[in-house]
Amino acid sequence: MLAARTALVDSIVRERWSAMPDGAAIAAVGGYGRAELFPHSDIDLLILVPGAGGGKRDDRAQQAIKEPLSLLLRDLWDKGLRISQSVHTPQECNQIDNSNAELSVSLLDRRFLAGDETLFRRVHDPRPELGKDIARLTKERHAEFQHTIYHLEPNVKDTPGGLRDMQVLRWLAKLGAGDEQAPPDTAVLFEVRCFLHYLAGRDDNRFTFDRQDEIAKLIGAASPEELMRRYYRAVRNISRLANRRIDRFEAKGSSLLAQFRDKISRLSNSDFSVVRGEILFRSANAVENDPGIVMRLFEFVAMHGLPLAGDTLDRLERASGRFKEWAKNQSGLLAPIRRAMLLPHAAAALRMLHACQALEGIFPELRDMEALVIRDFYHRYTVDEHTLVAITNALSLRQKKGDTFADLAIETQDFDLLPIALLFHDVGKGTPDEPHVPVSVRIARPALFRAGISERAWDIVEFLIAAHLELSSAMSGRDLSDPEVIRSVAEKVGTVERLRLLTLLTWADISAVNPGALTPWRRQLLWKLYMLVNAELTRELTARIGSPEMAGSPELRAFLEGLPPRYLRIHSAEEMRQHLRLDAEAKEKGVAVSLVRSEVWNLNVVASDKPGLFAMIAAAISSFGLNILRAEAFSNARGRVIDTFAFADEQRTLDLNPDEVQQLVRTVIRAVRGEITMTQLLERRPRVKPDARLLADARVTYNNGASPSSTLIELLTQDRPGLLCDIASVISNSGANIEVVLVDTEAKKAIDVFYVTRAGVKLADGEAEELVGALTKVAVPV
Amino acid sequence: MKKIEAIVQPFKLEEVKEALKNIGIDGMTISEVRGHGRQKGHKEVYRGQEYNVDLLPKVRFDLVVPDTRLDEVVEALTNAARTGKIGDGKIFVYDVADAIRIRNGDRGDAAV
Repeated sequence: MLAARTALVDSIVRERWSAMPDGAAIAAVGGYGRAELFPHSDIDLLILVPGAGGGKRDDRAQQAIKEPLSLLLRDLWDKGLRISQSVHTPQECNQIDNSNAELSVSLLDRRFLAGDETLFRRVHDPRPELGKDIARLTKERHAEFQHTIYHLEPNVKDTPGGLRDMQVLRWLAKLGAGDEQAPPDTAVLFEVRCFLHYLAGRDDNRFTFDRQDEIAKLIGAASPEELMRRYYRAVRNISRLANRRIDRFEAKGSSLLAQFRDKISRLSNSDFSVVRGEILFRSANAVENDPGIVMRLFEFVAMHGLPLAGDTLDRLERASGRFKEWAKNQSGLLAPIRRAMLLPHAAAALRMLHACQALEGIFPELRDMEALVIRDFYHRYTVDEHTLVAITNALSLRQKKGDTFADLAIETQDFDLLPIALLFHDVGKGTPDEPHVPVSVRIARPALFRAGISERAWDIVEFLIAAHLELSSAMSGRDLSDPEVIRSVAEKVGTVERLRLLTLLTWADISAVNPGALTPWRRQLLWKLYMLVNAELTRELTARIGSPEMAGSPELRAFLEGLPPRYLRIHSAEEMRQHLRLDAEAKEKGVAVSLVRSEVWNLNVVASDKPGLFAMIAAAISSFGLNILRAEAFSNARGRVIDTFAFADEQRTLDLNPDEVQQLVRTVIRAVRGEITMTQLLERRPRVKPDARLLADARVTYNNGASPSSTLIELLTQDRPGLLCDIASVISNSGANIEVVLVDTEAKKAIDVFYVTRAGVKLADGEAEELVGALTKVAVPV
Repeated sequence: MKKIEAIVQPFKLEEVKEALKNIGIDGMTISEVRGHGRQKGHKEVYRGQEYNVDLLPKVRFDLVVPDTRLDEVVEALTNAARTGKIGDGKIFVYDVADAIRIRNGDRGDAAV
């Protein structure tokens, strides 16, 4: 149809041109030159006049043509043709500079219509350098659309992957910058644009919700959503090809860049080689022979942030079936994903995994949200794209400095679980007629357990998915100055660790709705809510459970009395019963210890409180070269202390020497009873080289306002072996008593919170400052 | 005609919108704004550091109504936005000289 319309316009233009004087020529350019005239597209005409040498125009020839030409153009206008014309000499056409890049580009599609053909032949194809301008213009255009194809209301011409990108592919091929590949199937795009023009009665290419409904009916699609999935599929192919072609063109560009790229090619390893800054497989059938290489590629990208070569992408696509087959029978694929989430280019790696459909190979459940359109007022992207944007935003927080939410990201434990929770938070939207949050949880559970998630990690992910709307709905619908509102949010969230993760998830989720969704206004509301709930949870840590009105034996109720509510939230009924048994044992012996191995080693100590107890136990664990991951210490109303430690046995001392397990238990008991001194314990401690530095310095603060009864000391620093023991010793030696401890040292950083008192009351400001000074000295990374 | 500008608590947005809808007011402009009146800002302490929160998030409703409906609309607004606490917000009423619907040139009450 487009060709027929073109032919019709051709015949009209030729017929009118016959009345023109000799010596000039007329050519079709742009979309008209390509013989792709959409119903209301401009008809781009190039009128060529002879030059007079020296780059000047031949004035006489020009005068001769001026009058008849304006007659001709008026005539065409009156016929209802939207003409857009330019008059040039062939010399002008052959010059290239930045100011006329668009003219040069339009010449790529020139087609002779009538007049002096020798004049037309004097116009040459633009030089290949024009490709740089095309690449630049294309990138600028993509940036206007946030570089994504997944707009709910796309512009079929200009949105990435649209018809303009299709033309970019052809132009670059004409300039010798691309191999002639079979063009992707774009019929749906042409069809949609024709209907858009007809329905609007003008050159309007916005594919709005209304138009999606109308056109779906007109072309007999099952539903608008179905039509949009077809659209996104076509566009995805074009977009991928166009981006690849443009990157390659730019790679040819600067020699400095080339030098840099040659330098980083030393990154090559036994699986991958890096050539001109792009990643290639070492062996031809890498994926077929060893599908696990995809996961290694994923980590490689997350580490170095390099793009894949076109050939690598092709191979991945061809082998995607083989990868899916392999992934089905794998049980540990979450581990490499979690590792990669803490690397600098995690977002790029995840996009890579998604682009080659390996992510859907690992989690077929995610296909429910592929190109899924959920129409509402404020969402800009399809569900899968919203998800990826949210993850990208969350991960980018850690590169930012001096932002309150970025600081929060640094202090957050289990940060690697945040992208995992985001990946599944909206997956339930693919199931119609049910509220999406519980469905997301239901879908995520089997998927993540299949991939090898631990119970502890699942608890966090499940909480995040299930609660992902809690903060935003409290922000917009509840009175934050009402203490009851804050208490109920705190109750739902449970712990400060979870609050941090949920706040960051909410931040990322809102910011991924559309580029302007996270207004300073909303940021402020979210931050305010975070501060208020955080204060509530912090205060609560030294609050004590009164006489608990809960089910359970009188012994259990007596044991729980005086423990902070947090204790109830983080321990299962089974764990509490175990602590109760230890409590009974401690009543007789003064101290009771249990040591069990699950994912990590867990040591529980119940003992009567006395000064320096926590530091002694930490020292006993360190003396075996074990690395403490998490620790908490609480005391109940009867003066019994419940200390729990989780630690990693990196040297496998306990695994390989069963005798050492009993030895550790005995050492802890002796340390608690005071039969061994701190100095003796520290002498035994093996010297381990600390990891590379991640944090520049230590941050130690005290807060006398957070809790009614204790001084709160917070500490954030690079973790190192024995750190906890050193810190606890400094506090104990200062004469302060540790009331509550929350310690987490995962991902090589230590986030420790101590509630301390001296003689039963808060520290004076001077004392607290002195203690902070002493702690800063031991906490500074070596 | 009168223009009503109401500054209310963010969490009252839906309630106020609903109250206006119930008395047949559909046209309004809503903005996210920040500011303070007598409520002033206050300081929040986080991690031992003080955060100055002097501009508080609020929502602003702008609407234009015929003179005859003014009291009714103000009453609906007040009832919906009130919690009885400091920071509930304010309502300002202005005289409007004229209103023009851009699409067809309607003027006065017909345009609002």
